[in-house]
Amino acid sequence: MDSLHNGEFSFSNNTSKQDFELLTKALDASLSGIIITDNRQPDNPIIYCNKAFEDISGYQRSEIIGHNCRFLQKDDRNQTARHILRDAIDNGTNAVVDIRNYKKDGTLFWNELYMSPIKDGDDQVKYFIGVQNDVTRRKKAEDEVKFNQAKMEQRIRERTRDLRENEEYLASIVQTVRESLIVLSPDLKVLSVNDHFINTFKVTREETEGKKLYDLGNGQWNIPELRKLLEQILPTNNPVTDFEVAHDFPHIGKKLMLLNAHRIELEGQFKDRILIAIEDITDRRAIEQRKDDFLSIASHELKTPLTTIKGYVQIINRLIKNYDDEKLRESVGKTSLYVDRLNNLIGELLDVSRIQSGMIELHKAPFDFDHMIQETVGSIQQGSRNHEIVLTGQTGVQFNGDESHITQVVTNLLSNAIKYSPDHKEIGVHLSVLSGFIKVAVTDHGVGIAKDEQAKVFDRFYRVRDVQQKFPGMGIGLYICASIVNNHYGSLWVESEPGKGSTFSFTLPLTSNHTNKNGGDDAR
Amino acid sequence: MMPAKILICDDDEGILDLVELVLKEEGYEVIPEINSLNVANLVGSEHPDLVVLDLWMPVLSGDQVLRNLRNDPTTKNLPVVVISASGDGKTIAMNAGANDFIPKPFDLDQLLGRVKALLEAA
Ligand SMILES: Cc1cc2nc3c(=O)[nH]c(=O)nc-3n(C[C@H](O)[C@H](O)[C@H](O)COP(=O)(O)O)c2cc1C
Repeated sequence: MDSLHNGEFSFSNNTSKQDFELLTKALDASLSGIIITDNRQPDNPIIYCNKAFEDISGYQRSEIIGHNCRFLQKDDRNQTARHILRDAIDNGTNAVVDIRNYKKDGTLFWNELYMSPIKDGDDQVKYFIGVQNDVTRRKKAEDEVKFNQAKMEQRIRERTRDLRENEEYLASIVQTVRESLIVLSPDLKVLSVNDHFINTFKVTREETEGKKLYDLGNGQWNIPELRKLLEQILPTNNPVTDFEVAHDFPHIGKKLMLLNAHRIELEGQFKDRILIAIEDITDRRAIEQRKDDFLSIASHELKTPLTTIKGYVQIINRLIKNYDDEKLRESVGKTSLYVDRLNNLIGELLDVSRIQSGMIELHKAPFDFDHMIQETVGSIQQGSRNHEIVLTGQTGVQFNGDESHITQVVTNLLSNAIKYSPDHKEIGVHLSVLSGFIKVAVTDHGVGIAKDEQAKVFDRFYRVRDVQQKFPGMGIGLYICASIVNNHYGSLWVESEPGKGSTFSFTLPLTSNHTNKNGGDDAR
Repeated sequence: MMPAKILICDDDEGILDLVELVLKEEGYEVIPEINSLNVANLVGSEHPDLVVLDLWMPVLSGDQVLRNLRNDPTTKNLPVVVISASGDGKTIAMNAGANDFIPKPFDLDQLLGRVKALLEAA
């Protein structure tokens, strides 16, 4: 095939037709679009296109020949590829571009265009050959990759920012809390502490972080209770809350601290790290103590003149026996009644304050429960001749508890029973032992308490006014009773029907192996 | 028979007067004393049969007075009743060596009963 030489079609007379047909067949067999434009004509019209070009563009030959190829760009003219082509054509050079083109039906396709000039002997460009491939799919795949990459990068940027924000956010929380925080490695090295720790314990970050906890500040953190928490309690009881540690620090002095400790159990890089939050309750305790001291003194001072008043009222009581004046006697009787009530209130004031600050002290020792009940019943019976207290049952138990507190409960229940059953003489006290519990039930046949009032009678101080209007003198007393019973891990409740009377019962567990949060049931 | 002699020390004049009145009424000879610092001397000079002692008193508290009495061989068995309005009065009194404790405010009959019982036991 020698028809094509010097970049120019030249057909020999005998083979020309045959050669040309062969050539067009070959071009039509190509999967790439191929066009030839005539550069010598105005605006570079297409003078040849193969079959594949028709397929790629969707136009027919008749709609193609004679046009400048830019028709494939439709209105999408603002492309860099176009300018590259323009320059290449002006300079008579090669160009390879990916350009957005549109089929006849308007669908976009990416056209990978290879364009090359065919020059004559004096370097003038006669024709341009264009080879087109529809690379939409490849382009799409590439774009997808690019898009995904961009998206991924965006996400990573966002995640990194989130993480940093989170970190800063958490750090700001950690620095803001009014508790000291320490993070320890599994081998008890200090990984980090917050500002509050630094300020409270008057240390620097440098001398703290990275050091062994027990080595800090010449071993001032080598505290037996703290060792016990970290080495014995925390490994088996995670997390530990409200663990009290008292320690005298060399520079800052005596501190009372409440510790929460948490060992990280989550698998991963933080596993077995230990977080400790330390609340300094030194001042709070001191204030509670001062309040308590104040109330002790106040109640002592109030009781002193009351003693004298009570005594003289008693003397007057004796003296007026000789006078036949009912009104006078009644007045003196009322006076002594209210002196007693005032005395009870003063006592309760102190109790309530202690209960509310959680400072009620238990002095536990084994005592003969039945004997205590008999004594208490006996002394109440003496003071209220109008009622008959009937004691039934027995426990036969040496109870380990605070005798004076439990006596207070029984006294309170009995005096309530008497107070609220003015017209019914009998008060019942029943003792029993039920599967590991002592039960004491005090029954009266008096006014009773309506269902919706029953819970209120055990309520705290602030509800007392409510309750007291209906049950004067009852509120604080029962609140204290319930607290005392609770402190012995028992419960106190009431069953009652208005007009028929009430039964106040409490139970106390016989086994004393009840541990509170701090791992001991001793008085604190 | 000579009436029993009772020394009472309380820094509150009202209580001092009251107890003096009641005990005298009952026929006892009473030595009231408001200043706890004088108790030791009075015990030495007056030889009371029983002492009624308040706890919270200025300068020298009741339990200190009591401990001093117990440390002195001549008064180590002298019956002492402690009276106090303090919540932990009973523990303090018993630890210091009191024979009995009566919380304030007290019932006069109760006070008289305890005093009588202690005097009879002595
Ligand atoms: C041989 C040849 C083939 C070309 N093929 C295409 C084509 O397939 N798609 C296209 O958008 N432009 C093609 N062009 C480019 C345009 O015809 C035109 O030159 C380009 O848009 C720059 O000129 P303009 O700025 O006047 O439009 C081709 C040009 C030549 C010379």
